[in-house]
Amino acid sequence: MATPVIGNATTTVVRQKRLSESYVGEWLMTTDHKLIGIMYIVTGFFFFLVGGMEALLIRTQLAAPDAHVLSPQTYNAIFTMHGTTMIFLFVIPVLTGFGNYIVPLMIGARDMAFPRLNAFGYWVLLFGGIFIQSSFLFGAPPDGGWFLYAPLNLTNAGCTVHATACTNGMNADFWALGVLMLGVSSIAGSVNFVVTILKLRAPGMSINRMPLFTWMVLVTSFLLLFALPSLTAAAGLLLLDRHAGTHFYQYAFGGDPLLWQHLFWSFGHPEVYILILPVFGMISEILPVFSHKPIFGYTFIAWSGVAIGFLSFTVWAHHMFAVGLPPIAQAFFATSTTLIAIPTAVKIFNWIATIFGGKISFKVPMLFALGFVAMFLIGGLNGAALAVVPFDYQVTDTYFVVAHLHYVLFGGTVFGVFAGTYYWFPKMTGKFLGERLGQVQFWLMLIGVNLTFFPMHILGLLGMPRRYYTYAGNLGWNELNLLASIGALTIGLAIMVFLYNVIVSLKNGQVAPDDPWDAFTLEWDTSSPPKKYNFLHIPVVRSRRPFYDKKYPEIADWKTVIH
Amino acid sequence: MSTAHGEQVRVLEEHGELGATHSLNWWGMIFFISSEALIFANLIAAYLYLEIRAGRWTLPSGDHLDVIYPAFNTVILLGSSVPAILARSGIAKGDKRRLVLGLLGTIIMGSVFLGGQAYEYTNLISQNFTLNYKTFGSAFFTLTGFHGLHVTVGLIFLIVILIRALRGDFTAKKHFAVEAGEMYWHFVDLVWILVFSTVYLLPLIRG
Repeated sequence: MATPVIGNATTTVVRQKRLSESYVGEWLMTTDHKLIGIMYIVTGFFFFLVGGMEALLIRTQLAAPDAHVLSPQTYNAIFTMHGTTMIFLFVIPVLTGFGNYIVPLMIGARDMAFPRLNAFGYWVLLFGGIFIQSSFLFGAPPDGGWFLYAPLNLTNAGCTVHATACTNGMNADFWALGVLMLGVSSIAGSVNFVVTILKLRAPGMSINRMPLFTWMVLVTSFLLLFALPSLTAAAGLLLLDRHAGTHFYQYAFGGDPLLWQHLFWSFGHPEVYILILPVFGMISEILPVFSHKPIFGYTFIAWSGVAIGFLSFTVWAHHMFAVGLPPIAQAFFATSTTLIAIPTAVKIFNWIATIFGGKISFKVPMLFALGFVAMFLIGGLNGAALAVVPFDYQVTDTYFVVAHLHYVLFGGTVFGVFAGTYYWFPKMTGKFLGERLGQVQFWLMLIGVNLTFFPMHILGLLGMPRRYYTYAGNLGWNELNLLASIGALTIGLAIMVFLYNVIVSLKNGQVAPDDPWDAFTLEWDTSSPPKKYNFLHIPVVRSRRPFYDKKYPEIADWKTVIH
Repeated sequence: MSTAHGEQVRVLEEHGELGATHSLNWWGMIFFISSEALIFANLIAAYLYLEIRAGRWTLPSGDHLDVIYPAFNTVILLGSSVPAILARSGIAKGDKRRLVLGLLGTIIMGSVFLGGQAYEYTNLISQNFTLNYKTFGSAFFTLTGFHGLHVTVGLIFLIVILIRALRGDFTAKKHFAVEAGEMYWHFVDLVWILVFSTVYLLPLIRG
């Protein structure tokens, strides 16, 4: 408002509010990394609910033998969309969201390096997600499994022999175009993260003093930059095969369906580390804070993350043991897969050593972090079992694999995401999430996960194949399937508790101070929620725990340790 | 870039944390291009995979691809990087005339390359070598076509920069778009060396 004086008369000119100053307009037009981070997280959780409902439909169908809840065609679509949604539209966006919100704060920056590119990445993701989901409205949801193997992904031209197995409709096109869009979003985000982390760290924060979450986001971003091109190429060739008359994956014309598998998994295996590495970072932030100790073996955690990043590009064909690779290739991929277990185990030992001897406070973030370590360990061990080729022959494409991937992705990633959510919620909103409800959610989830996915190990060993829409009643699978379905409902209940908790806490939760957990890193050196500019003065860093140094100057890290 | 953001960059510069040589934008462009380069790497891998599987790829006439004409085209494309360098180094000294002339030179040479590729394509298609001709046709047209697409995007990039240059948008200090255009153009050139070697030279070596 301005009050110019004209002559003797005073006129008050009310400036019209711009769209970007209204509440909705601010969210629509923002380039602030914190708002974009929250949008990513909320979008991710929305798709988590979508994918979760698809999972419940699957478990309802499988709860009893010879069930008719879903038709075979619908079942195919539902499990395909469950995988696609969870991986591309839940885990990646949520982890990108945490990275967006936390990384600039952690490294003492005012924003990401390219704020507008950041907003662009979010909006492309949102519309890409809507695009893929809209396939349901057009009656053509992708239905070839989330890795959409050739020839399931081809039109008739490609598989004259097995014409019934092909998709004539737009189903596979929705998938291919959708993941291409999501790829654009991820590349934009990754370029931004890499430049931000490499170039915008606060003065004094050498790469050696970077918080571990930032380390892992950096490794993840490089993985995305170098792995996504494989998916882009694979999906591009698929679209050409389907619509332009090329023969890349068409066996009848000299193409090779295995080419799809090679391209897809040389994206897909780095991808699984993309889904877990940022969570490793979160856990490495949360465990030390709630154990009141510095992290044990910082260097090992950081560099084992880098080792995982490199090795993840050499293991893809362990998804393809059963396709008849030459023995030398099988030996190579079995070895590299076993090798990658080493840096992962290094991390587990470091986390245990971090807790060991600490004054542990069992707040909800800590509960989820500990749950993560335990569940991820199971997922890692049965994964190492799958690296043994003869064993893989036996259980490939059975529920054993489903058990493995859900222990790592649900017991691992989702537990980690909830640990991060309970940990950073006070910073993002200025309110605590309810402690009691959080405990209820944690125990429900822990029981639910093991009830759902542990029986699947046995189902797999008993020979139940994945992706079958139903099974006969006399195979001895009934009780275990019922248990798994009850477990899935328990998880659903836990998620309801979480949603209730968020709503209640936002409305009248306990107000959080700036530093509620007595934490170590710079994001807690801001108000809760942080001001638009994050830091009034750009902090100067002298050790790995800059905020700890500031709070306890007499016993500051930089006085005793040199890194 | 917001003002708060600008101040952060200033603080980092004062502490000597930002290397004086390259801007944030430069680094962003480098990582974007490296990701783009890997798409080519994947397409080349797919090309070789199918070629090895097929044993020996020949045109419908039984010949190898003609290498003389594309080699000539390659020289033009590689040469087009020189005026691009002149354009950027020109504006870095504030010489707007050199910027415009350099851009024009690159655009003309790039268009000649693209026209040459189109001519080669029509020639091949008239011999019944098309996108549908076995996996060879699929792989050949996809790989070289994807490169041609990049040349086209690069040309559009440079034409936009040329228009902005004529409007006087760039100064000796502020001309990142020119730098980015130059980087992208070099990338398109360099990746062509790999594509050219895979598609045209490798069969000569294998005989």
